Amino acid sequence: MSQQSLTRKNGPDGGASDRAARVLSAVVEGLSQGILVLDRCLRVVRCNASFRALVGLSASESLVGRYAPRLLAERAKGGCPLARGVRAHLREGSGTATLSIDDGRMIAFAVRRIAGANWIVVLDDITAASRSEAFAHRLARHDPLTDLPNRRHFLESLSRAVGQGPVALLCLDLDRFKPVNDTLGHPIGDALLRVVAERLCGAVRKGDTVARLGGDEFAVLLEGLDVAGATDGLARRLVDLIGRTYIVDGHMINIGVSVGIALAPNDAADPDTLLKHADLALYRAKGQGRGTFRFFEPGMDAALQARRRMETELRQALGQRAFELHYQAQQDLASGRINGFEALLRWRHPERGLVPPVEFIPLAEETGLIVQIGEWVLRTACKEAMRWPDDVSIAVNLSVAQFKSPRLVAVVAAALKTTGLAPRRLELEITESLLMQNDADHVGVLRALHDLGVRIAMDDFGTGYSSLSTLHSFPFDKIKIDRSFVDGLKRDPRSAAVVHAVAALGGCLGIATTAEGVETDEQLQDLIAKGCTEVQGYLIGRPLPAEEAIRLLDPIRSPTAARTQEH
Amino acid sequence: MPKTLHRLVYYSKNAIDLPKDGLEAEVRQILTAARHNNPALGVTGALMFNQGCFAQVLEGPGEGVTRTFERIQRDPRHRDVMLMAFDRVEERGFATWSMAFVGASAEGRARYGGIAAESGFDPSRLTGSRVFQLLRDLVVEEEDQPCVGA
Ligand SMILES: Cc1cc2nc3c(=O)[nH]c(=O)nc-3n(C[C@H](O)[C@H](O)[C@H](O)COP(=O)(O)O)c2cc1C
Repeated sequence: MSQQSLTRKNGPDGGASDRAARVLSAVVEGLSQGILVLDRCLRVVRCNASFRALVGLSASESLVGRYAPRLLAERAKGGCPLARGVRAHLREGSGTATLSIDDGRMIAFAVRRIAGANWIVVLDDITAASRSEAFAHRLARHDPLTDLPNRRHFLESLSRAVGQGPVALLCLDLDRFKPVNDTLGHPIGDALLRVVAERLCGAVRKGDTVARLGGDEFAVLLEGLDVAGATDGLARRLVDLIGRTYIVDGHMINIGVSVGIALAPNDAADPDTLLKHADLALYRAKGQGRGTFRFFEPGMDAALQARRRMETELRQALGQRAFELHYQAQQDLASGRINGFEALLRWRHPERGLVPPVEFIPLAEETGLIVQIGEWVLRTACKEAMRWPDDVSIAVNLSVAQFKSPRLVAVVAAALKTTGLAPRRLELEITESLLMQNDADHVGVLRALHDLGVRIAMDDFGTGYSSLSTLHSFPFDKIKIDRSFVDGLKRDPRSAAVVHAVAALGGCLGIATTAEGVETDEQLQDLIAKGCTEVQGYLIGRPLPAEEAIRLLDPIRSPTAARTQEH
Repeated sequence: MPKTLHRLVYYSKNAIDLPKDGLEAEVRQILTAARHNNPALGVTGALMFNQGCFAQVLEGPGEGVTRTFERIQRDPRHRDVMLMAFDRVEERGFATWSMAFVGASAEGRARYGGIAAESGFDPSRLTGSRVFQLLRDLVVEEEDQPCVGA
């Protein structure tokens, strides 16, 4: 007996539902939308003609039971970009997206769980609809990746809200997002942004607005009478929430968020100023170690203005030759002679006079100006050293920011070449923090510099975290013991012990050890006793302009030389 | 990813600021949600609540574990979530449990089980695999008890 007659015998109900199933099946098959039904293990249960056509599967191929991600991967390899998009979204589970295909088509994609553990994927060719005005309107106002309102839309909402009552504006900027994109790739970065958007939306109250302003910038708009009170708690929650670990496509990802907040009408009554103030607060939050939030304060504006002004002046200073080098003598304890100078940067400001480095170097580093300034310092210092006897060296400080420039080695080589200074007379001072950041790269640059024949000194030794291990990472020519230890020699037995240990270590490794900040004769005697090889400090000489420094090298007029000769 | 078995281990600090009764009710609610949601995603595991800390093992298909974890990450009832491990594994440690529970009542045995001795009740000082092992031991032990939180 055939199947059909058996079913028929099951009675009117069985026949009717069978017929209904066949009708339904024909309907599904004939739908213009592509339909793919999968079981819980993502194996194909059903795939209609439109779906096959959209992703380029032939009608004859038997698909039932096949593992959908593999099937789609094969089609993607076969040149179907839509298959790749569908596969990527399938991995993220439920959701919707609009996929735009290279050939100009626009496909709406939705995946949902149905009837227990099954999945249904629906593809809809919306190319025609997308050309309609309404669609264009939505597209222009929404971020296609996260489906959040975009900047334009958000600014409209902000303008409207500010006119209506109290508003809190939170500007958010993700911390450490760029490395995610760089190391894991854009698809993962995009997927991460989507999860961030979901977390944000889940944390705000109904009626609050979350928007993506671009890149890794988001914004939240709170409205209502209680915003001032609610904002603090929400900001705290967002920083915590966004900072929690993500797992995206099997990768554990840690990012953070910084938040700047401005309130209307308290901080500003118009949307532009409000946005500017929230940005200022955000800038401050970023500066304060990220992963935190700040409310706008009126002083922030002034502080930023001052900073901007200083940045402009710094740029001009380079062109106007407003920088100067001062030179501080270093004395060799064995011979009593001055055997080198450290070049120290000064800025002669038209109004403020001589500005010490601590006040402008951080800004120069942040703005990258340090690279140009550093070049000038190297050239000038090498040129000055050419006026000194052959056995007097010149020490120049290198900042971490200079190591970020790929040209550092070339710049040093050029300074030596144009001035004609013998490489061994140039000593480059670096701090421990350099080696603690990005060891492999920086050590490579250090080696290249060493290969030029210049000497490398470890500056401020003992102030970092892992002093001894950094010594291990590179064959330094000199260790400069930080002034704080010299200062503590008398009072603090631990300082004395550190100085002693470093001097002994230097002795064993054949590395010179220079004590910095030597101010009294008592300290000098103590340092000699402990085995340091060189000293630097006010006792030997203050930082001096070039013309005065060179006089120290004149044995007849130099007070230091006279004094040490008496020893 | 769906076919490969993954295990995730994390610990977190309790952020439920309620007296004992309220706290227990919240934890019960968490377990109810877990037992309701996890089977559909093929997720099994164990949760420990002790001394102001949660420690949890989630295991199942990568996708299910990831999505469950993401949902848990957003829960304001805990904070300082420290992910200790997310690895592929060969088999489940809690195959028969949508979410086994080791609660405050197990404190004595947790102590006995070595958590206290090894870390002063500070799971942050244990590795992911050690937390997994401890939870397993405690759950297996509780399975023989007449009164389990399941
Ligand atoms: C420590 C902790 C562990 C949790 N474990 C789970 C879990 O394993 N599965 C789950 O679905 N929800 C778990 N939750 C609860 C989720 O965060 C969330 O509240 C819940 O999934 C919401 O489910 P519902 O939408 O069904 O109410 C946990 C929450 C906490 C604080």
